[in-house]
Amino acid sequence: MILEGILAVCQPLTILWIAIGVVVGIIFGAIPGLTATMAIVMFLPVTYSMSASQGIAMLMALYIGGISGGLISAILLNIPGTPSSVATCFDGKPMANKGQAGRALGTGVVFSFVGTLIGIAILIVLAPVLCAFALKFQAYEYCALALFSLSMVVALTGTDMPKGLISAVLGALLATVGLAPIDSRPRFTFDLFQLNNGFALVVLLIGLFFAESVRKKQDFTIEENVKMKGAGFTFAEFLAQIPNAIVSALIGVGIGILPGIGGGVSCMISYTVSKNTSKHRELYGTGIMDGVVASETANNATIGGAVIPLLSLGIPGDPATAMLLGGLMIHNVAPGPLIYEKNGAVVYAIFTAMLIAAVFMLLFMLWGMRFFVSVLKIPKNYLLPIVMVLCGIGAIGNANQLFDTYVMVGFGLMAYLMIKAKIPTVPMILGFILGPTFEQNLRRVSQLASSDPFYNHPIFCVLIVATILVIIFSVRANLKDAAREREQELSE
Amino acid sequence: MKKDKQYKLDIIPGIIIAIFAIFYMSKISGIRVFKSLGATPLTNHFIPWLWGGSMLALSLWLIIRGILKYRKLKALNALPEGESLFAALWEKREVIFSFIALALYVGFMDSIGFVITTCIYTFVQILILTPVNKWGKNFIPALITAIIAGFLLFYIFRVMLNVLLPVGIFGFGL
Repeated sequence: MILEGILAVCQPLTILWIAIGVVVGIIFGAIPGLTATMAIVMFLPVTYSMSASQGIAMLMALYIGGISGGLISAILLNIPGTPSSVATCFDGKPMANKGQAGRALGTGVVFSFVGTLIGIAILIVLAPVLCAFALKFQAYEYCALALFSLSMVVALTGTDMPKGLISAVLGALLATVGLAPIDSRPRFTFDLFQLNNGFALVVLLIGLFFAESVRKKQDFTIEENVKMKGAGFTFAEFLAQIPNAIVSALIGVGIGILPGIGGGVSCMISYTVSKNTSKHRELYGTGIMDGVVASETANNATIGGAVIPLLSLGIPGDPATAMLLGGLMIHNVAPGPLIYEKNGAVVYAIFTAMLIAAVFMLLFMLWGMRFFVSVLKIPKNYLLPIVMVLCGIGAIGNANQLFDTYVMVGFGLMAYLMIKAKIPTVPMILGFILGPTFEQNLRRVSQLASSDPFYNHPIFCVLIVATILVIIFSVRANLKDAAREREQELSE
Repeated sequence: MKKDKQYKLDIIPGIIIAIFAIFYMSKISGIRVFKSLGATPLTNHFIPWLWGGSMLALSLWLIIRGILKYRKLKALNALPEGESLFAALWEKREVIFSFIALALYVGFMDSIGFVITTCIYTFVQILILTPVNKWGKNFIPALITAIIAGFLLFYIFRVMLNVLLPVGIFGFGL
């Protein structure tokens, strides 16, 4: 069965489709607003006439390419190509600003590959065990997980905690627009049907990072130091990042197996964990390799994690895997506990296709880096308008409605004012992503509380304790940073 | 001390956020509550109240902190000199014009169409970001870039990728 699966993929035509899928995925991932999900949606009809292994292999390639491509625009333009690359901007762009764009891209690409490999390895070896664990996550556990993830906001607020918290609450508050979870009553829609689905994360991200780009004075400057050698870093540096990569990959897989959370959260959490456990946490955000490693390893490891419940339980974790589920069904593959018995060859074909796609992703992106970096040679007064138009297209493409471009401009203006008021915008993203998960599960918990008390849920209790610890340690670290800042000011 | 001088960055955002939080909470009562079978003890009002209330509390924290900073500076007679509003706005003219251009671009895209508005926007935005003394040299390259960008992006995204970009007044046969 294993050999059958491998042979099904190792055909010249299938490999060609995988290569095409990776390239298209990278392009979709790199353009702000176009996501891996859209790539899969657009190319799903192309796979109708293919064999099951070919079609599914191409869809997997699109998925892996789409998630990986987001790092290009995150590093070069400070606009994450996909929500999964949000945290890559934090250190990727500062590295590019320091003339290390090639190094940042190389780091991102190589550790994306490492993350994908770890994710696939865990998928192959531990899928059944992890599925059993994921099934234990119900309303209580999700509610606590959302709370735990929200507690990471405290670490991201920096030295000015009230402003960081305002940002996070604002994100959660914006996420209440649209139909309420569970009862689907419209809230804050002002009778605009376009708001029924709420604001899209992609549109919010484009708006936020647009503001950041516009704020910085644009001029004729062309990045001079954009030359690069190899992957941009030494083998010793690679080895030094291995512990960071392993922890980030495990976080990525862990978040990936839980439906509804996704790569956007995994990259933020792994970035925060990496920052909090680092001996030089004050350097995060100034352009260090560790930040890019944490973000990129985690978001790619999420791919393997997300495929675990998809194949073993038939539960898609995010819109992209929901489309993959559709793709599998179109090709007569029914995901679920019996998939290994009924479609074992296809399962191994999927694993093989993912591995080949990961290798193609590494090769194409390493090869393409010199071309990506040349984007920085374009005068910024010419580059920015084109990027803005692409952002607009991305916003329209999100739901094929022009309304989202108005929202994008609104978010851009709001983010600009926030930046001027020294309110960080990053916690807002986390609040926006986690707010609905928290609300939905809190309301479910309120229904269950009388018949199923919280102490019957050990995972819930552990997560609540972890949340309290994270808050205490983050507040302590922030206070230390604030004291250090004050000392610096006084010495100046 | 440097941070204390930024008391305005606490008070003004604090007031704006407080007003926003009050407006947000005033709209909560208009949300219809689901009361039939399957209703949750925590209604769809609970979380908006939670976030709105938190927002208001945090904004008040910001305002109070700003006032305390102001009093401290006043007592030390170290209040920073105010900058003229016009000078501050003029310094940010690129940003202001960029936002106006973008707002007009998306505002007119539906009626005029993607290609024409993109050509105009790209051209105008390039000029906004270019120092005035270098406009002459950049006029033709900006125009060519704008026209190529408008048509090429429309072709790629509308024709090849089926993104529903507005065709506008000319339609281009679509």
